[in-house]
Amino acid sequence: MKGPLRALSHRVSALALITAVASLVVTASSGCSTSRDKQAPRHLTYWEKWTGFEGEAMDAIVDDFNAKEAAHAKADPNYAPIEVEKVTITKIEQKLLIAIAGGNPPDLAGHYSFAVAAYADHGALTDLGPLLAKSGFDRNRYIEHYVQLGEHRGKTWALPLVPASTALVFNKRLFQEAGLDPDHPPTTIEEFDAYAEKLTKWEVTLPSGEKQIQSGYLPNVPAAQKRLLQAGFLPGEPSWWLTGWGDFFGGRLIDGPDTISTANPANIRAFEWVASYSNKLGVGVIKRFRSGFGNSSSPQSAFLSGKVAMVLQGVWIHNYIEKYAPGLRWGAAPFPYPADRPELAGTTHAEADVLMIPKGSAHPNEALAFMQYASTQAVLEKLCLGQQKFTPLVSVSDEFWRAHPNPYIRLFRDLGVSKNAVNIPKTGIWNEYNRELGNAVDLIQSLKQPPAQALAEVQEKMQAALDRDTKILALRQAQ
Amino acid sequence: MPSPNPLNRTNPLIHLPLLALATLFALPLLWLLLNSVQPREQVGKIPPEWLPRQSYLKVGNETVPVTPPVPVGTDKLVVVPNAGPKRGLHLLVEPTDFHDGQVKLRSQVADRVLEASYPAQLAQSVPAHFVVVKEWFLSKYSSREARVFYVEPSAVQRQIAPVFGNYPEAVRALSASEKDKARPLGELLGKSALPWTHKGDRTKTITFITYLSNTLLVALLSVIGTLCSSSLVAYGLSRIQWKGRATLFSITLATMMVPFPVLMVPLYGVFRSLGWIGTLLPLWVPTFFGGAFNIFLLRQFFLTIPSELSDAARIDGCSEFEIFWRIVLPLSRPALSVVALFTFLNAWNEFLAPLIFLTEPETFTMALGLQQYQSQFGGSEWHLLMGASALLVMPIIVLFFFAQKSFIQGISTTGMGGR
Amino acid sequence: MKASSLDRANRRNGLLFCLPWLIGLSVFLIYPLCAALYYSLCDYSVLLPPVFIGLDNYAGLMRDPLFWKSLGNTAYFAAGSVTLGLLVSLSLALLLNSKVKGLGLYRTIFFLPSLMPVVASSILWMWMYNGQSGLINTGLHSLGVNGPAWLADPLWSKPAIIIMAVWGAGNAMVVYLAGLQDVPTSLYEAALIDGAGFFQRLIHVTIPMISPVIYFNVVLSIISGFQAFTQAFIMTGSTGAPERSTLFYVLNLYNVGFQDLRMGYASAMAWVLFVIILLLTLAATKLSQRLVTYDR
Repeated sequence: MKGPLRALSHRVSALALITAVASLVVTASSGCSTSRDKQAPRHLTYWEKWTGFEGEAMDAIVDDFNAKEAAHAKADPNYAPIEVEKVTITKIEQKLLIAIAGGNPPDLAGHYSFAVAAYADHGALTDLGPLLAKSGFDRNRYIEHYVQLGEHRGKTWALPLVPASTALVFNKRLFQEAGLDPDHPPTTIEEFDAYAEKLTKWEVTLPSGEKQIQSGYLPNVPAAQKRLLQAGFLPGEPSWWLTGWGDFFGGRLIDGPDTISTANPANIRAFEWVASYSNKLGVGVIKRFRSGFGNSSSPQSAFLSGKVAMVLQGVWIHNYIEKYAPGLRWGAAPFPYPADRPELAGTTHAEADVLMIPKGSAHPNEALAFMQYASTQAVLEKLCLGQQKFTPLVSVSDEFWRAHPNPYIRLFRDLGVSKNAVNIPKTGIWNEYNRELGNAVDLIQSLKQPPAQALAEVQEKMQAALDRDTKILALRQAQ
Repeated sequence: MPSPNPLNRTNPLIHLPLLALATLFALPLLWLLLNSVQPREQVGKIPPEWLPRQSYLKVGNETVPVTPPVPVGTDKLVVVPNAGPKRGLHLLVEPTDFHDGQVKLRSQVADRVLEASYPAQLAQSVPAHFVVVKEWFLSKYSSREARVFYVEPSAVQRQIAPVFGNYPEAVRALSASEKDKARPLGELLGKSALPWTHKGDRTKTITFITYLSNTLLVALLSVIGTLCSSSLVAYGLSRIQWKGRATLFSITLATMMVPFPVLMVPLYGVFRSLGWIGTLLPLWVPTFFGGAFNIFLLRQFFLTIPSELSDAARIDGCSEFEIFWRIVLPLSRPALSVVALFTFLNAWNEFLAPLIFLTEPETFTMALGLQQYQSQFGGSEWHLLMGASALLVMPIIVLFFFAQKSFIQGISTTGMGGR
Repeated sequence: MKASSLDRANRRNGLLFCLPWLIGLSVFLIYPLCAALYYSLCDYSVLLPPVFIGLDNYAGLMRDPLFWKSLGNTAYFAAGSVTLGLLVSLSLALLLNSKVKGLGLYRTIFFLPSLMPVVASSILWMWMYNGQSGLINTGLHSLGVNGPAWLADPLWSKPAIIIMAVWGAGNAMVVYLAGLQDVPTSLYEAALIDGAGFFQRLIHVTIPMISPVIYFNVVLSIISGFQAFTQAFIMTGSTGAPERSTLFYVLNLYNVGFQDLRMGYASAMAWVLFVIILLLTLAATKLSQRLVTYDR
């Protein structure tokens, strides 16, 4: 009968059509393979976070490498050149881990040193040890502090690329206006606090109605009659090292691999110092003052527009000043230490941008080749010069010092090499720890919780998290 | 004071609250569209201005768009040095720094300020009441230097003029690399990576067009998939009498209560083992296997079609599929168009699923691209953010005006509320 | 009873037509749901195989202040947006229910915002809520009121997002409008004859007649309110600043699962969310049996 037969053919043809369309679309979406012959370039995807001039500095290095590889392939037709494609990924800390977990990682990635521990513990990285051993890697070429940033639990997971350190950066003109010697920045915290008070300026409305500029904290003038024009120092400006103030007072966030030490006395002292600024200026005053700040990389940022006289900043500040506030007369010095702890002089936050090979990278050997290239002295100096920072290598060429535009580059490097260079604790739970600590500092700065209590709560929670992690690690090893 | 007045008179008292509420509701969208065509300097102005205004300066025969005027403040001079590092440039200096044909310039080297004098010519004398305006050009990535003018305040005119250039600039700013951002717009769009081009073609660049085509691909495929699968299943659940269909239907109803966030972690694992993470597949392939809500909707609709039609067709010897294809589907056009419309809309607006499943910028959808843009520039380039948002919103508005009846009817009959 | 060949054919056809859904159900719904249950009992970071840890994740949840805070935030948001949304959309529907001039235009104005992608409206409202130069604060300022810092103020951040959600409640208005127009005028006439005033008509005729629609909408709104994510993610960043006031449940889930890669813990959160929604729906059903009139 024509019915069922026709029906069957209808159904089959419809099904076939749908399948055909679907498969066509599936193949189109997933792309086709590109390799044709065996000398086709070996393609390397490299995710990097830098934008602006920092990104361009790395672009130059990548271009150099690709050119070198192309020249090699031209000279030797049997050689398959490595072709690096650098992709700029903003907020790489949000995207890289998930890409690795999803089985779709880039072949090489640039991240921050403080992510190494967590990524390594999660199994997201390729162990560089065997790869480096084959290639004749000389660890001694590197500054000890920076090379150990890429190491965790005895293995090497990442290599430092571009280091950084932090120092006290101050506005010399504002120093002079306040009657302070611009060539003698404060060396102790107590001196620093005194300077900050002198550098704080208000516009006061006198009872007569006229306005007058006064400096100091003016505790006797009611809030309604004074408007903050300039702050000597704000612990929250910039907000990148908010969780690291304890380091300057000798407090560490971790005490050995198994203990969280958020609430140790030195940390409490540090955050009481932070809270003191909220007390002196007033939480509402600070909030309103800060809401007028622009983006930190714009001429309206707090320090660049002269609204804050002293900040903790990193080695890159020179380029920001050049770009957005070229007339600014600035100085840099090691951040002060508490007068009763002179051994803490020269404390600095020393982190680095690192290169890592994700687990599941399709071209680990090629990635290593690029890493090796990027770590030769000449190339590294070119990159760091372009980014206006110093290199993580022990040896520095004279040309580098001569060509470097940052007038304080030697200071920043000395800080990075000093025995008091500290880094963010290398622990797998840092992400969580940082979030909790950030929240606690938020509360401390808004004077909603006393430091001792806020830090104790963080310590309790993080100790539980660390214990949980240790337990799971043990279970995994037992498997 | 509303309610259908049996005397068919509209109560005059409702007009005022209605008008007030309508104004409140319309303001944000209006603000978005107007802000998206304002020049950068106007967007952050306090108090905010509604109409986009541009400042203009007549220079010879040209009318040049310029930045808002800023007072010079004190008497100054414009000089052009004949020698030194700033040779040939027009510099604004204090009158005390220029005399005897020599200009004193300062520069900072390390933490010292060096002064040097160079021979120079006076180009213009600028009294205190003058204002300075800079030639306002469309893109900050342009290689041409902007001209600076020192003029009488009255020479600068402000006119109402929308800056449509924000849109191409927003498109350009959405590109992935610095090199791309400096390319002319036409070249940039022509080289956009499209989802059906070979993955790994390194001459392609990622732009707004890339995001748009990704979104369109996912949306269209989702519509096809949903229409095909949901109608088939709804037919099976309504037009064929079989044991177990009620159970399956109750299960279907129950699954409407399982929201995506509950499933997203293991779904991620499923797609990962299939190797689909980082591609667009997880966004549309599941639609080819039915969705509870659309199945429910279509089933309800199919139930309203008289069963006599099916019975008659069966007696005639038609197979179920033929009945489905030739009788039921054509009668369901209104319901199907509603399903298609809302599936398209959902795919266009979707954010959480692309956030999780897409890892490569070349696969991003527009919603994700916009968010990436916001995380990069948030707080600084509001005129571009508004422009980019407007670009995402305008197609929806256009679609609405074309498909208004379907939208309204769809919502009314299906009760699709509470997104 | 023996199945006739017709029944067998029907069953085969029925199953065949439902095949896509059967596959979809098992692969994309039932399997993930069960997998989530299994993962919730493990520590699972995707890159490493799962390690069974029993109920540790759930115990951890109970002790976790972030879990409770996110739950509270989400409940606040859901309650606020549902009630306010209901009030506004119902009132609008009632206002539009008479033969107003320009009904089409009004309906468009109220409905359009609900179609916008959440990303775009979040960015727009973020700009409008700006403490210094935002439209809202300057508008309030011109009325002599000093607006709060909205998204930067822990007290006002959730209300700010609720207001934005209400702006997008236009689709509910359309549903209510349709429902209102289905109410037979005979009932109103009868009420008028009985001497009922406006409010009495509203409470005794209008609302009961559209109560099924209200119920359906409210349930859907609650379910979607508990899933709020995008607005908080975009407007206040993934940490739910300030002071975690906008840390919604799904935002916390996303952070834990996809930023910290603790998928086991996230799965436990997912299951708790599922149970909560289940309970809410059940409660709503029980309530509806008392309040909703399905008479004919």
